[in-house]
Amino acid sequence: MPLTGLQIFKLLPNTNCKKCGYPTCLTFAMKLAAGKESLEKCPDASPESKAALGAASAPPIRRVTIGRGERALTVGEETVFFRHEKTFVRRPGLFQTFDPARLAAVERDVRLDRWRGIRIERAGETFQVDGIAVVETPGAPQAAVDAALAAAGRGFPVAILAATLPGAAAVAERVKEDRPLLVPPAGADLEGYAGLAVRLGIPLVVGAPDLRSLADRAREAEREGVSDILLEPPGADPRALHHSLTAIRRGALDRIHPGLGHPVFLRVGAGEIEKAVLGITKFASLLALADSGGETWLPLWTLRQNIYTDPQKPLQMDPGLYAIGEPNDRSPLLVTSNFSLTYFIVSTEAEATGVACHLAVVDAEGLSVLTAWSAGKFSGDRVAQALRQMKAADRVSHRTVIIPGYVPAISGELEDALGDGWRVLVGPQEASDIAPFFRDVWEPLGRELEAKP
Amino acid sequence: MSPDLKPKKWAGALRAVTLGAGSRRPLAVGGGSGLPLHTFEAAFPHRPVLALEIADVDPPRWVESVRQPWEGVLGRPAEAARRAVERFGADLLLVNLMGTHPDRGNRSPEQAAADVCAVLEAVHVPLMVKGPGAGKKQNEVLARVAENCRGEGLALHSATNEDYKTLAAIAVAYGHVLVAESPIDVNIAKQLNILLADANVDLNRVLIDPLTGGLGYGLEYTYSVMERIRLAALGGDAMLNCPIVCLEGEEAWKAKEATVSAGKEPNWGGQRERGIHWEVATAMALIEAGAEVLVLRHPEALARIRKQLDSWFSETPGGAPCR
Repeated sequence: MPLTGLQIFKLLPNTNCKKCGYPTCLTFAMKLAAGKESLEKCPDASPESKAALGAASAPPIRRVTIGRGERALTVGEETVFFRHEKTFVRRPGLFQTFDPARLAAVERDVRLDRWRGIRIERAGETFQVDGIAVVETPGAPQAAVDAALAAAGRGFPVAILAATLPGAAAVAERVKEDRPLLVPPAGADLEGYAGLAVRLGIPLVVGAPDLRSLADRAREAEREGVSDILLEPPGADPRALHHSLTAIRRGALDRIHPGLGHPVFLRVGAGEIEKAVLGITKFASLLALADSGGETWLPLWTLRQNIYTDPQKPLQMDPGLYAIGEPNDRSPLLVTSNFSLTYFIVSTEAEATGVACHLAVVDAEGLSVLTAWSAGKFSGDRVAQALRQMKAADRVSHRTVIIPGYVPAISGELEDALGDGWRVLVGPQEASDIAPFFRDVWEPLGRELEAKP
Repeated sequence: MSPDLKPKKWAGALRAVTLGAGSRRPLAVGGGSGLPLHTFEAAFPHRPVLALEIADVDPPRWVESVRQPWEGVLGRPAEAARRAVERFGADLLLVNLMGTHPDRGNRSPEQAAADVCAVLEAVHVPLMVKGPGAGKKQNEVLARVAENCRGEGLALHSATNEDYKTLAAIAVAYGHVLVAESPIDVNIAKQLNILLADANVDLNRVLIDPLTGGLGYGLEYTYSVMERIRLAALGGDAMLNCPIVCLEGEEAWKAKEATVSAGKEPNWGGQRERGIHWEVATAMALIEAGAEVLVLRHPEALARIRKQLDSWFSETPGGAPCR
């Protein structure tokens, strides 16, 4: 919990010496409380005060980095329970659980290469597999070592899903430079794994059968010298898991127990999409997924993109001319704003018509069409300028642009500004009416245009 | 130091709204006094309920994997309703009168009313009835349905800020529930409820439809608006404490990610499984954000969400028994 100005004031020497640049200690304390000054400016603050103030201003959830290089995953430092309060900051890593025990080296490499190569572009973001969670199986000690090396060698951050301490140690030793995450098996004795994590300087997952012992064990691991900890929440069923996830985040933000101030790790078994959804929405920072493939990844990656979007910024599309289907120079040309929700709705509906078309996305500063128009961001001049910039005239031969039905007012201005024989057609107000619009207005017009070349 | 949370106490709670009356088995929703799914610290007299969507005509835009479970009954609302309830275990149904839209069949109000009556004959669960979208035709259609099915406690979808007076009057006159739809906007949701209250609608007979953005298509906006509505309700705002309904299936299945074949997008994996995952992920997130009535489209998605909800609510009345 951040300290109030008066609480901070009590930690200051109360000499009003002005060395900090403020007339009184109380003024300085108020500035500190508002986060506008740093305690460094008070030369006489006692070490105890510094410690107290430091602890109070530390982020409620620690930061942890797994892996190194450009694919390294950093999680933690979240500050809110509801995303609308501010935003969720560090999107969770979705690791692929990988059991190499019964795989030949060739097959292992084929899978890792495939996972490494997967790239899905969506709304300005590139989705990829964030890391590999290597399963260590007793009796096959070398398989996990080789798989971890192969994964790390491909730049993947690695988590070690341990079965035995010696097996895990063998893997961790070999990839310790790559900051792997050490995940002990359920019910493991903390001491051995904590010792290994300390010795190699790598992050450790701490689990426990209930919240109280989880918090206590995390505290214990810290005392033993583990600097980076992730918590594995108890919860055998959705209700219990939801309770732990909620309690850990709330407990961390309210600072009710220092053992709760760590990011959360979650194992997701085969066929457990629902559990992954719960983890992504409710504060998990790293998920190891047993299922692989687009049908699993795409919904989860998209969900993460949605939940971790900053709700204070309207999500914007890059302005430009987007192709719906494979349009040609006779295809309709629609124009809309770059508010991403508007874009999504319009492009989805346009796509569903089965008619290929050009969609001109105009920079309206992320506002919806009507709002943008009232704010002067979707005027005829602005739209005309945008269409010229994207060279719309080179893309369609019919020189006809369809504007949203909410802004018929701009059609005259737009026609004038475009000049050159352009005409403006007022389209439907709702995107769901694009299909009938194409059928009843555009197609007859197209036939008319074809008839007199 | 103890890691145990102090239970959060709130000034307000959700209203409980009863769907269905007359010949229906009534179904109460809402009434919870905490954040969604927070059963560890708050009382929830009713569990979230799950609806399936039945259309009056063969829905032109449903992809094959969604059509398959409904084979033989698409465009036959009474048969589809029976299958939805008896085989798929829907708690209630949404009858989507999409065929009344002037551009999608232009069926008459009389035909629409006959369709709804046929569904009422076929099953005993409560019904929501969705018109063709705000405007004159919708008011004509829903007015006729409301009159012919008076006293059945239908949930009429939907009144909007611009067009609510006719629906408010017929809901009151014929004993139905009204769905108040707002465009992902807390302030408009509240304003509309104030207008409805002024029009003599009992807010204990109102559901809020916050407008659902599907996964990847605005889900995050809906998610946060729902959380904010819930917080307002729990804070004691009597104009925002109606239970929320989400028309989830319809939105989830609009996404190309749910419908495009693996042949076209090899990295995306199999379409059938991906589509159902898409709907399940959307639905699960909306339940977490506070949906009390969820309208799904694929029966497998319904079964999976029901199984999840059983974990929280297996002992809570409302909703079909777990199967």
